[in-house]
Amino acid sequence: MEEKRLSRVAWRTSRRQFIKATGLASAAIALPTLIPASALGRGGAVAPSERIRVGGIGLGNQGGSDFGGFLGSADVQYVAVCDVRKNVRDGKKAQVDEHYHSKDCVAYNDFRELLAREDIDAVHVATPDHWHALVVTEACRRGKDVFCQKPETLTLREGPLMIEYARRYGRVVSGGSQRVLEDYRGTVDMCWGGKLGQVLSINVITNNLSHACNLAPEPVPEGFDWEMWLGPAPWAPYNSKRCDGNFSTVDNSWRSYWDYSGGEITDWGAHHFGGATFAVDVRELQPQEIIYHAPEGQNRAYLEFIYPNGIRITHCKPGKANMEVDSDEHQTRAPKPVPGYKGKGSIIGDFLYCVRSREKPFRDIELAVNTVSLCHLGTIAYRLQRSLKWDAAKQTFPGDAEANRFTDRARRQPWQL
Amino acid sequence: MLQDAFEALKTYDYGTDRHVLDPIDEAAVTTLNDPAARAELESRLLEVLQSSAPRDARDYVCRQLRTIGSAASVPALEELLADPDLSHMARYALERIPEPQAGLALERQLRKLNDPLKIGVISSLATRGQGVRLLRPLLHDADEAVARSAAIALGRIGSIEASKALGAANPAPALVMVFADASLSCAENLRRTGHAKEAKATYQRLLKRNPPELIRLAAERGLKTCQAG
Repeated sequence: MEEKRLSRVAWRTSRRQFIKATGLASAAIALPTLIPASALGRGGAVAPSERIRVGGIGLGNQGGSDFGGFLGSADVQYVAVCDVRKNVRDGKKAQVDEHYHSKDCVAYNDFRELLAREDIDAVHVATPDHWHALVVTEACRRGKDVFCQKPETLTLREGPLMIEYARRYGRVVSGGSQRVLEDYRGTVDMCWGGKLGQVLSINVITNNLSHACNLAPEPVPEGFDWEMWLGPAPWAPYNSKRCDGNFSTVDNSWRSYWDYSGGEITDWGAHHFGGATFAVDVRELQPQEIIYHAPEGQNRAYLEFIYPNGIRITHCKPGKANMEVDSDEHQTRAPKPVPGYKGKGSIIGDFLYCVRSREKPFRDIELAVNTVSLCHLGTIAYRLQRSLKWDAAKQTFPGDAEANRFTDRARRQPWQL
Repeated sequence: MLQDAFEALKTYDYGTDRHVLDPIDEAAVTTLNDPAARAELESRLLEVLQSSAPRDARDYVCRQLRTIGSAASVPALEELLADPDLSHMARYALERIPEPQAGLALERQLRKLNDPLKIGVISSLATRGQGVRLLRPLLHDADEAVARSAAIALGRIGSIEASKALGAANPAPALVMVFADASLSCAENLRRTGHAKEAKATYQRLLKRNPPELIRLAAERGLKTCQAG
């Protein structure tokens, strides 16, 4: 109840407060001719004072897509944009202003300034992965609900911390993989509906891990805050490929490089493993053992994740397709209703619905973390080329000092988690 | 192969083909059960770390020492903590070296360094869960960034002593939320680790201070959980 109350306080600002907060007071006289009726709450639309006030942090490739989803929602009043590239944030501000026929959207280089605004209810975050935990925990600390793009973490340790902050401050924090439900619904329905009998295992296919980046220095473009882009990551000289946000994981985007991403095993893994854990119903668990298989005569190793309930998820098992399920059809399994999005349609609609209702979203941060931690565990097994045991409660590799070195990374000063 | 890789490492710099170092990457993994080979690898890496090799080469060495470094690496890494270019990468390795010498090196340098390198060392001590005695006086450091960092670190350590240090502190107005948040971290950790009584005391102490609403709600929630448990 207390979360509900707090949240209502946060977004149900009066019209007067709304005008004050958006700096419109002095221009109020011009409003009737500039603002369409829909923005004033007529014609069935939600009035600005009743809308969820949203800001966006990291607005490039995927962030740009999320931006469109939030800006296009009648339930949202988009009020602030943040990106370390001036051309990107200025472009997004212009889009917001055009959408509302105003000049009220404020553009920030530093996410902390945006999060310090008390009039913002929720933020969406689509920075590179090395920033997620810092931004999400700070947003929770500032009382914001958060929609964070996948992969939600860069290291194992960041996951529990993000959950801790979400719960501590009673925040709605959603992960960002829309594919978990939208791409794999058919497989999920078959598994949960009992058609396959007792599900035993499922296979996931993703490609390469991220790797070191050693690209040559290039001049930093004007208006690009390179130090802020790097943030907690090790210092490195600017190179356009190092920080490009395209979806490739092969040497020409930040998704390719270890300091900023786990590579395809986390980037696509967040989707595929998310769908797989959903299908075989282990979303709320983490594996207890990761078996590294290096079959003779094969040029590629594969992994087997074993869950406490005996369910197995394999990664790149030879001869198995992506999302291929093994089951025992002779054993019956009672059908269970499949959870889905609340609200209107999309994963963003689900998040916005939950911001109002204070329910956990479909991709609640705890479920998202369980998926991305699975990806990290796989990465560590591949890097060490051996099997691992994992204590999910303690978040450690028991008795394995070498593997425990990989649970986190030192952040570059002054950034601290 | 490994010899060639070490030769290449001496001049390794941004723009060099990264694959020239693959044999070292591989050796770092395959020497796990061969202590002599691993010690030899560490020794060769340290030679480069202490040379005038380019920053990128020494950055690479620190990344390897994160995986294989032992107490033998600590003196060379400690020396780099004061180097603005390499302090972070020295911590990148030191923070993950399990031997106590690594933590002691961080504690020694904490006394000598200033912001922002000091903040890095504070953060690494917190990761290792040590240094409460040294962090406590920093809560009132004249440099607000250091005081803030010390509070976050104590919250992360989350011990009874850390909670008491935060509870006894009188933060500057700008740091009230950070200190309260750190106390909440302590309380949650205490609750998780079977110290419900101390967790409860931490929540109650926070509530007595008439905290901002977000903190009050969080403390009330935590207190209820303690009582339920």
